Amino acid sequence: MALPACLLVFTFLILPFFMAFGLSLTNQRLVSPNPTEFVGLDNFKKMLGVSFLIIEPEMDEAGHIKLDNEGNPIYPRVRNFTRNQEDFPQFYKKREWFQLGLQDGKVLVVLSQDVVFLKALANTMLFALVVCPVQAGLALFLALLINQPLRGINIFRTIYFAPVVISMVVVSMLWRFIYDGQNGLLNTLMQMFSFGLFEPIDWLGNTSTALPAIMAMSVWQGVGFHMVIWLSGLQTIPLSHYEVARIEGATRWQTFRYVTWPSLRNTAILVMVIITMQAFTLYPQIQVMTRGGPLDSTQSLVFQAVIRGYEKQDISGGSAISVILFLLVLSISLFQRYLTREKN
Amino acid sequence: MPAHKLLGMALRYLLLIWIAMIFIFPIVFMVISSLKPDLQLLSDSSSLRAFLPVGDISPTNYLSAFDRAPILLFIFNSVLITGITIVFSLFLCSLAAFSFVFLSWRGQGVIFAIILATFIVPFETIAVPLLLIVNNLPWIGLEGIKNSWINSYHVQIIPFIADALTIFLFVQYFRDLPKDLIEASRIDGATWFQVYRRVIMPLSGPIIATAAILKFLMMYNNQLLWPIMVVQEESYRPVMLGLQYFFQLNTQWGEIMAYLTIITIPVLIFYLLLQKAFIASIASTGIKG
Amino acid sequence: MGQVILKSVQKKFGDLEVIPNLSLIIPKGSFTVLVGPSGCGKSTILRLIAGLEDATGGEIIIDDIDVTHLEPSKRKIAMVFQSYALYPHMTVAENIGFGLTLAKVSKKDIQKRVSEVAKILQLEKLLQRKPKQLSGGQRQRVAIGRAITRNPKVFLFDEPLSNLDASLRGQMRVELTELHAQIKATMVYVTHDQVEAMTMADQIVVLNQGVIEQVGTPMDLYDFPDSLFVARFIGSPKMNIMEGEIAEKYFCQKLGVRPEHMEISKEEGLLNGSIRHIEKLGADTLVYSEIKGYDTITARVVGNLEMKIGDTIHLRFDKKHVHRFSNGNRLNTQF
Repeated sequence: MALPACLLVFTFLILPFFMAFGLSLTNQRLVSPNPTEFVGLDNFKKMLGVSFLIIEPEMDEAGHIKLDNEGNPIYPRVRNFTRNQEDFPQFYKKREWFQLGLQDGKVLVVLSQDVVFLKALANTMLFALVVCPVQAGLALFLALLINQPLRGINIFRTIYFAPVVISMVVVSMLWRFIYDGQNGLLNTLMQMFSFGLFEPIDWLGNTSTALPAIMAMSVWQGVGFHMVIWLSGLQTIPLSHYEVARIEGATRWQTFRYVTWPSLRNTAILVMVIITMQAFTLYPQIQVMTRGGPLDSTQSLVFQAVIRGYEKQDISGGSAISVILFLLVLSISLFQRYLTREKN
Repeated sequence: MPAHKLLGMALRYLLLIWIAMIFIFPIVFMVISSLKPDLQLLSDSSSLRAFLPVGDISPTNYLSAFDRAPILLFIFNSVLITGITIVFSLFLCSLAAFSFVFLSWRGQGVIFAIILATFIVPFETIAVPLLLIVNNLPWIGLEGIKNSWINSYHVQIIPFIADALTIFLFVQYFRDLPKDLIEASRIDGATWFQVYRRVIMPLSGPIIATAAILKFLMMYNNQLLWPIMVVQEESYRPVMLGLQYFFQLNTQWGEIMAYLTIITIPVLIFYLLLQKAFIASIASTGIKG
Repeated sequence: MGQVILKSVQKKFGDLEVIPNLSLIIPKGSFTVLVGPSGCGKSTILRLIAGLEDATGGEIIIDDIDVTHLEPSKRKIAMVFQSYALYPHMTVAENIGFGLTLAKVSKKDIQKRVSEVAKILQLEKLLQRKPKQLSGGQRQRVAIGRAITRNPKVFLFDEPLSNLDASLRGQMRVELTELHAQIKATMVYVTHDQVEAMTMADQIVVLNQGVIEQVGTPMDLYDFPDSLFVARFIGSPKMNIMEGEIAEKYFCQKLGVRPEHMEISKEEGLLNGSIRHIEKLGADTLVYSEIKGYDTITARVVGNLEMKIGDTIHLRFDKKHVHRFSNGNRLNTQF
């Protein structure tokens, strides 16, 4: 009786999963004149390999640091290192990812062959790192708010949960308007509440605000989901526990700290894991709102996997990203198991 | 009620309402804007008029949206794909769960563990290899034999029928059913399929509703990446892909809002009618923790 | 109708041996009660007879047919569960007739059979209700009704009264005994309550850790317990068991005397001490005494007793009422 469902799971989930692993070790493309070859871990080396280059300010003959018109030191161009194959073979074909100022005016340049991937990886991690605590915390706050015995409280629960049932695609479209630089609602509201002091921002067009804007929207859409999970955790706490706390004269904070929170441990872990998994698969927002821009500031792993595997028909590259993503998710869920097991 | 308690109560409601506005303003904005011509829409959004049905209010955007894209076709496609997937999913996943819980067969534990493990595989990571698979699967349909599943309804349905979450939800529910009932029906002479159909399924109303709602949200709302990859023909496209039509040639924001409203409001109404079940279904995914 | 024979039946759950090796004859038409403390394997035996568990070894024979490997539904048995196991989504009538529905009996015949059964159990007025709308006793009757409908050779009862309150339990005991007299089928009844066993059975099987301690009529077990275990298990309040000096006097390791055979004596004797607790039950009184050199000894006195806690008490008993045990087994030889 389990056969049909198992067969479907195996064909459409497990088989492609192992194919992703296999393909990530080859150089397969969707259409290619050359036969597919086994390339081992090359794809991963290309994506994850970084090299470090320390550059010093240029000196003049007298040993003074050369300054440009604005008084900043002049550095040799990174291009000189990556294109001079003979002197620096290790930097060949690599591009600058980011720079880090060191002491004595030296600068550490991190080079990579696949800067876009590394940006996507960093963005995805950053996205998860910010969204998880913020969304979980806000969701808990809302759950506590909703868990009060107030008349009409269910209306608020219904409203807070509403965005969850709306497609992320629709939500992303809507928030494109809200984030718009010229006529965006957010700018309008900000100006109104700051009495005109606020300077309008093109939220999605700015490298420093695009990712935070997407984070905020994702929290807005998903917080109701986790509120409900918190709520179901809260409602498993027997009323008598609160009554005991009241009789013993606990303040509201003490009640939360010593009665509510300890009972929510497993819910907390579950909420964190679900949010983390959702955060790692950041895709529709990027697809609809920014397509990775501006200047790759909103690239995500899944978006890159799709771009490469599908649009650029680089199946092995896309698969390699998938494998990395899967390993990330796997380690998170193993971590969760570790956390839940510890107590028992 | 003493004054300070009244004040506290008022403050709480104020907070609740203020938060409610944060959650509701984009939706109100969407619906209101869909009724305004573009010029007014843009100028209104620099003031609170954005949330008010004032000025030149008309259903024009809806009419032109229908002209621009075959909306009814897209809605039909989405509903068809989602509906068929839900029906098959409920049937096959509950059947599998039944077998995991009530029957004993060799390798049961291992297979169940493997299925559960797929829970942590994000769909996006297997999309590309899955594309390779469906691209090479034969299909016998009304028009004869095809050697690929690309551009069809079933390519959007079959891969999504069985999933770990649905099977898991049923397994959890079945495990809590009294074992005596199954034994009683075995003594009454029921075959395993009769136990499933006549005893277990009639008792599984709540979990069927839960699984159906979750599946609905997963399907209807997420038809983006996969259809982009496997559907090039207009006639099989679901609603989320319909958005593309509104970005070709002189984009009209009002029309986009109208389209978003058309594809969202039915879901919201559905949600408002069945909100208890919706919320319970999400909550039930949390109980396993 | 319906003789059940268990021949060297064994049952293991993994490494755990629940029934090491058990042989038993349940005579045709008997009301056999399997009794023992929880975990003694009594429910497992019932489930083995029902076919809900597969025997690890041995044979189960019902009316000369080896049913060891038959499906539950093919064994001509019916079972009443502790939880009643009524289908919540079906009416009483549907519950009672479900077996017949599955067997594709015509609707008319089902209806006929259901009303017959309903009449026996006085369920006529409840046929259209759902189990939820019934009281505990009514549910119990529906569960029995479902069993009767199948017209089985053997009825199996798994602690069917344990979910009822005390007064209803007493009433159902009477009803079940009457039902047995009326339909004359073989009934196998599992309970941990020795009162149920004593009041209903014509054959009691006392089990301990998967092994039969004794088989016999209720009075057999009461008057001549084969083992210390049976002696302690049957009878309430429990038989007094004494060791040491007094047992040596009777040439045994342990000496048993039932509380009703303890008498209060005016003079000092073998058992002297003080009263720890008194329970007045009306018709008689239970006296719990701390006796020097022994544990608490219980005595049952007819009528009221004009003594109070702390009073000095002397107990004696007639030697014809003693039960003598060595190595856990009864000594039948005279002394």
